[in-house]
Amino acid sequence: MKKVLIIMLLGFSISNIIAQPSWKSKESSSNVKLALFHSTQTANFPTTESLEKGNWMYEISHRFIPSVNEGIESLYGFDGPARIRFALAYGITDNLMITFGRSNNMDNYDLQVKQKVLEINSPHIPSVISILGGIAINTGIPRNINRDKFDPDNMQIYLQGIFNIMILDKKIGIGVVTSYLYNSFIYSVEKQYTLTIGAYIQYYFNRTWSVWLESNSIAAGYQGRIRLDETGKSYNSLAIGFTIETGGHIFNIMVTNNSRLNSSQFIVGADRGENNDAWRLGFGIIRYF
Amino acid sequence: MKTNNMLITILFISSLIFGEEWYVKKSSDNLVKFSSSTPVLDFDGITSEIDGYIYWEGADLFGKNNELYFEVDLNSIETGIGKRDRDMREDVLEIDKWPKTSFRGSIVKVQSIGSNIFEVVSKGLIFIHGHKKDLEIKAKIMIGDSTMNIKCDFSVFLKDYEIEAPSLLAFIKVADEIKLYLDFQLIKITESKN
Repeated sequence: MKKVLIIMLLGFSISNIIAQPSWKSKESSSNVKLALFHSTQTANFPTTESLEKGNWMYEISHRFIPSVNEGIESLYGFDGPARIRFALAYGITDNLMITFGRSNNMDNYDLQVKQKVLEINSPHIPSVISILGGIAINTGIPRNINRDKFDPDNMQIYLQGIFNIMILDKKIGIGVVTSYLYNSFIYSVEKQYTLTIGAYIQYYFNRTWSVWLESNSIAAGYQGRIRLDETGKSYNSLAIGFTIETGGHIFNIMVTNNSRLNSSQFIVGADRGENNDAWRLGFGIIRYF
Repeated sequence: MKTNNMLITILFISSLIFGEEWYVKKSSDNLVKFSSSTPVLDFDGITSEIDGYIYWEGADLFGKNNELYFEVDLNSIETGIGKRDRDMREDVLEIDKWPKTSFRGSIVKVQSIGSNIFEVVSKGLIFIHGHKKDLEIKAKIMIGDSTMNIKCDFSVFLKDYEIEAPSLLAFIKVADEIKLYLDFQLIKITESKN
């Protein structure tokens, strides 16, 4: 009996002599959301990214109307005039954001809501799907048109499905955006629609610099003018540029054939084709706070 | 008789080397805060996701073979701006490689400054961004019935850990010095596990 007691006590003592802290580290329990593109929008398209709840975003964008071919005399277009967009966005939840914007092109106001709907956290090809719905009203009605600023015919509705992936260790982002616009030309007697397929690709050299290319092709529906003082049709859109990210700001600098900024105008197409005068300079500044 | 003496000796030795262990009480309002500044703007990041322990042997407070280890889950740090949090996670701290920062050391000096209140000095290694560096931290420890509160503040310098100072405003970089403030609770696990 004594022997058993001694063995038990020895065991107890040895366990104490070699006592070690019993605490064990645990895996991170923080739920970090999948994040692909570095911003909630590219120069012309939405990305699948959303503002976090309670965060704000401010955008100011310009598309200069003179062609870069006008040279130094118009400072390659910087002398203007320019299409301008201001927008303010707010994160309602971590996956839902709302944006209110205005363009001086036909005094177009838009209100849009974007919801992240699916995250596929694949180690090789992480991908995210979001949907965006928007409503726009064009209040810049020419004086010779007998129509109230807030006439229902001035309103447009659009819906966009956004698919983003990141590849090559998040160096290359690819996006596809399908857009549907209702009432593409607000002066048309019969309501028009436009369906487009957009795509963009962005290569991130590092956390500051990236280059990108984006296009929007009209797949079906209306492809005409959006203003009464325009002539001819609209064209597939193309833009190429680079991005500088620094300290919560994102600067997009580009050449493009589409000076239309607000979504309900951009979706209809570019205001110039592929001739020498089509290419204009533009920039966008986004600030997160 | 011999057996009895042996038993008494074993029990005596055991009582001397019995370990006392305290865990971070995760249900408490723990705070880990860093402050960074530029000439025009300051900002903070906070988290409550600190974990770890203090351990020692014997009856004396922070006695023989004392050691401590604390780690912070960097994924959980929030600065109030989602974009900034993401940049910090992905580009500054590279959390996919090093998701936690930690301090492992021991208490080398204890001074009582009040009833169950102590000023201690701990020496050890801090691990940040894949780099270890010697660090001495002064802390104030308040001990209750079965809880312990630790408060400390110290600074780290980004260049010591090969962290490139990020820009806070357009072209204004964050200062190299990052000030850290910690205020957290531990619980004695022999009485209650968190």
